[in-house]
Amino acid sequence: MKWNNVFCLTCIFLCATHSIEKLSAAEDVFEKANTLFADGYFFEAAIEYERIIFLSESPEVRVQSNLKKAESLKQLGSFGKARSDLQRSLNYRGNDSLRLEVLYQFAFCSFMAGFSFEAYATLLHLRNVFKEPHEHRIYLLESLVLTDLMHWEDLRNHLQNWMVNYAENESWTQKTLQAYDDILDKGLRALEIDPERAGILSTFLPGSGQFYAGEAGWGILNAFSQLASLAAFGVMVYNGYYIASFFAGLGPFQSFYFGGIRQAGDLATKNKNSRLNELQTALAQFFFEVEAGLLDY
Amino acid sequence: MKYCIALIVLLLVFSFFPVQAALRLDGQDQELRTELDFILHLITREDYDASLYLLERIGDAGRDWSDSLNFLSGWVMYRQKNLELSANKLLKVGKESPVFYKSHFFGAYNLAHIGQHQEAQKVLYNIPVASGSMHEALRCLQLSGLALLQNDLDEYFKYSMSFVGEHHVMVEQERNMESHRRRLEEARTPSPLVAGMLSAAVPGLGRIYAGKTSEGIISFLYVAALGFTSYDFYRGGGAKSPMFIISAGVTGLFYAGNIAGSAVAVRRKNQEFRYEMEQRILFDMHIPLRNAFN
Repeated sequence: MKWNNVFCLTCIFLCATHSIEKLSAAEDVFEKANTLFADGYFFEAAIEYERIIFLSESPEVRVQSNLKKAESLKQLGSFGKARSDLQRSLNYRGNDSLRLEVLYQFAFCSFMAGFSFEAYATLLHLRNVFKEPHEHRIYLLESLVLTDLMHWEDLRNHLQNWMVNYAENESWTQKTLQAYDDILDKGLRALEIDPERAGILSTFLPGSGQFYAGEAGWGILNAFSQLASLAAFGVMVYNGYYIASFFAGLGPFQSFYFGGIRQAGDLATKNKNSRLNELQTALAQFFFEVEAGLLDY
Repeated sequence: MKYCIALIVLLLVFSFFPVQAALRLDGQDQELRTELDFILHLITREDYDASLYLLERIGDAGRDWSDSLNFLSGWVMYRQKNLELSANKLLKVGKESPVFYKSHFFGAYNLAHIGQHQEAQKVLYNIPVASGSMHEALRCLQLSGLALLQNDLDEYFKYSMSFVGEHHVMVEQERNMESHRRRLEEARTPSPLVAGMLSAAVPGLGRIYAGKTSEGIISFLYVAALGFTSYDFYRGGGAKSPMFIISAGVTGLFYAGNIAGSAVAVRRKNQEFRYEMEQRILFDMHIPLRNAFN
């Protein structure tokens, strides 16, 4: 009986010691990398997280480490690299919260790296797999992606859906949707510049295309240049310098005339793009405010 | 007694793990091997900055592994297109290393790519190769490429004699080298001086001589138009007329600029041809290396 007890107790002691060793090893696996991250050594932390991915046999640990590595790379501004690294974890089918995090981070990094279509596809997948309501950051990211893709109608529906899920006050929902409509209407009106139309205007009335494109200074300069070269042509013909009038008068005139038509189109395109940027910035700002409002709510 | 024996066996089994762990910890080689495996993993993932960082961090601990470390560093730098530093590392790999040939052939290629043709030649001469081997054929191909890069056709013929078409990794490149040689031989290299003189005689003709026909025609039209304008002002107001003086000045500027522009166009054309040939030759030096060693 005595030996029996000793044997059992020894077994328990040895197994317990080894189990504790294993457990603490699993907990400590991120310690070095986490410390580097906390100290601001993001490049070194990313390497250590990659080492964990390389050495670990647990899919969960690998996904966790990949997410932490993505965080380090985001701190370094390497969104493209974070995105390609996260791609490895997209097939993970384990823990739901980890899976959601992988999809969100992948969509976020894709958006930041300029792959908005891919970000949108990932968010659609996320919405399909995980039922609503989602966290605010997911709604916000989708809003920003849709703004970037200029899917205005989808964006409105998405905003309405977000509000329905979180804002219990109907009047506030209506007010927010109205504010969105106002920003969009104003922005789309400003976007109604047609580069082709600007060119046509300058063909018939020099400088008017530039005015239409919103560049009055260039319009005046171009119209004045054409008038000056025509005047020089007239003066030279009047004084009998026929050859000179052709090359030194009509030559510059045709350059200013055709150059003016081209410039009007280019300016219209440039201004249209810049107004589109302004609209997208205004909408992004609006969505951040909506999120802040809902969080306060 | 039965329990006592079982207990001793149990203790022996459990005590084996720490001993094994201690052995593993003691073996620095094992640690380094694991680190190199990890670095190889990073290289496969094209994470070159991280690989280099870890390779540099190994430092003195990797004295016995210097060939592997030099090779890996050189290879990463080669993938990053940092060819000078890559050559420097690759050429440090010793003869006993299994990657000696790969390192030295790629090292020589890197030197050739950055224009250090003489150094690349020296490296290739010093690679010990067995007669009739693929390495010998590869060396001949590389040396013939280097000769073409230096426009030394006599030297090229010395090595092209060994083109036998026996090794499939370089049969096509041997043929290509021959065609590069023919193109270099037959290429007419226009002279900037002749181009300038032609443009002085007929504005724009120098550019046409350089092969830039449309530029030549446009130049001619510009100078002719300015010339006619000046003539018109001269006819109407005489040589002292301010309009004639301004117009003639502008015409003179365009005329002189066109002469200088023709010379520049010829030089640019020659440089473009030389650059294109260099890229073709380097490409045909590179492909057999990739085929033979990858």
